[in-house]
Amino acid sequence: MSSADKMRRLFDEGVVQTNAAPDDAVFEKIKTTYMRAVQHKSAQQEPGMWRSIMKSPLAKLAVAVAVLIACAIGLFLWRTTGSGIALADVLARVEQVRAFQCKGIIKRTSESPAGKPHVWEVHSINLESKECGSKATHKEIDPNGARTSFAETYFVPTKKILIYINHIEKRYIRTELDDWVVPLMQKEFLGRYSNPGTFLKEIVACKYESTGRSTVDGIDVEGFRTTDPNCARDGGSGFTDPQIDVKVWIDAKTRLPVRYESLTSGLDEKGADASHQFVVYDFQWDVAVDVAEFESPAIPDGYTVQVEKPWGAIDEQTATESLRKCAELFGKYLESPGFGPSVDLEGELNKSNNPAAIRLKEELKGLAGLERANRLADAALPMRRLLLFYMNLTNEKKDPAYYGKTITPKDADKVLLRWKLSDMEYRVIFGDLHAETVSPEKLAELEKTLPK
Amino acid sequence: MLQDKRLIWRLQRGNVDALRLVYDKYKLDLLKLAMLLTGDVHRSEDAVQDVFLKLAESFDRVGDHGNLRNFLITCLMNRIRTLRRDGQRHQMAPLDDAAMQTAPVSPPDQWAVANEQMQRISRVMAELPVEQREVVTLRFEAGLGFPEIARIQNAPVNTVQGRYRYGLEKLRALLNSEVET
Repeated sequence: MSSADKMRRLFDEGVVQTNAAPDDAVFEKIKTTYMRAVQHKSAQQEPGMWRSIMKSPLAKLAVAVAVLIACAIGLFLWRTTGSGIALADVLARVEQVRAFQCKGIIKRTSESPAGKPHVWEVHSINLESKECGSKATHKEIDPNGARTSFAETYFVPTKKILIYINHIEKRYIRTELDDWVVPLMQKEFLGRYSNPGTFLKEIVACKYESTGRSTVDGIDVEGFRTTDPNCARDGGSGFTDPQIDVKVWIDAKTRLPVRYESLTSGLDEKGADASHQFVVYDFQWDVAVDVAEFESPAIPDGYTVQVEKPWGAIDEQTATESLRKCAELFGKYLESPGFGPSVDLEGELNKSNNPAAIRLKEELKGLAGLERANRLADAALPMRRLLLFYMNLTNEKKDPAYYGKTITPKDADKVLLRWKLSDMEYRVIFGDLHAETVSPEKLAELEKTLPK
Repeated sequence: MLQDKRLIWRLQRGNVDALRLVYDKYKLDLLKLAMLLTGDVHRSEDAVQDVFLKLAESFDRVGDHGNLRNFLITCLMNRIRTLRRDGQRHQMAPLDDAAMQTAPVSPPDQWAVANEQMQRISRVMAELPVEQREVVTLRFEAGLGFPEIARIQNAPVNTVQGRYRYGLEKLRALLNSEVET
């Protein structure tokens, strides 16, 4: 036997025992501590047993199989026992609602060019009616002291009109919509930011989890959460490596949404921390709607009235024409693809000394009131078409990209606008507005040469 | 190991019986380890009791430590180091020099009772530097491998093996007659 083995034997011969009475006393003390901890932790959350179980690959597989079986044979029972809320059921209920009102907050934080924190915030009250349409009141709050806005938007699908009332600039803009635009407006323009059906569909399509029961605004709710990047509002656009946190709370009694929160954070194009928060709350379901309000929204006294004609066809040809019009008026392309009704075309014109811009400014000098507003609306129509064209590409997930910020009409071989036709092909409009269909590899080469 | 996993599951579900089973299964091993490391029965009792109290408070974190036995041993090592530091800070009799205070016949209100051989080994172990004592104890008594001991001591494996070698030599010299016979 080696000396090490002998030493081990000596260690083994050393024995420790415990006296019974103090042993029980020690255990009682430990037990009391344990019971207190269990009680405290159960109040906070379920014990971490699940985490321990799921560390085993075998257990993971077993649980996965069990879940599949449960889904296959027990979903109906689960839905009807009241033990949990299924978001698909909530979505079905929301789609049955005829009219509802809710409040919304959109908040963007970023850095100003001077490197100071910059916050942009809009508060809105939205009324959605299946019969009448949509009404939204927006108030822009700018804690940085810049311009604020207060506006109302009416969208009346039956009359195919969009009315935008800017209470700061005292402008009343009535836009007549093409037939094909109406469903698009319903789906993307207004519904996207106020319709709980839209965000519920987004969550249901992603991987999400229940966050359990709690109380929100005095209502007993069950929460759901997802961090799936596919659930980002606007796809987390403008952010590098976006982090997503989307939550929705459902009324345990009515099974309708109570609150929705979406937070997208990451680095902006300048590499600074930025975030985009979107909150919808204070839902009122099946509210009474005054039909007359949507029939003809009143024009407040002293407001300039502007009528915009239907936008007409929106396709590659009209988009190219719109880009040509931009180049004529401003001598360059717009930094973003087109602009909506709230952007001041006149302000853009005043920055340009191009012949077309000077001619338009001269023409405007001879006009007043409604005539002047309508002439401006006509001039802005191409930019609206371009915006719509780009939004269509985005909605159809055609992977569009626009480089108007750095590409000029002189950049004949540089990509100005591109979108996907198929997995094998991209359509590209170059700086000089000629267009080509290229392979993804060729596009990658072209985009490598773009100025930063 | 499998039984320990079942105990952890039950423990994490608030099962007091599981707590009792864990306590009964490991209390003597931990007390023996503590006595070898501290050479003091009262401090060993305190350290082991603190370890179980820690387990009772943090039962939901045991799974993060791989297995229950290692969790308890790591907790014990940390607790003893803290007691040693406290002892030095308050200029009390350092644990290194503490003599084994357990009498062959212990008072009935004393939790731990060590036999004569245990007392003798503890006294001899107290002669070793702390790091060597830890390695020899963890290797001999807890049966841990050098990599695991290196993790606990936060030292390279080579260093731990060196400490083990020097520790054994010194122990051999101190226990010369018994080891040689």
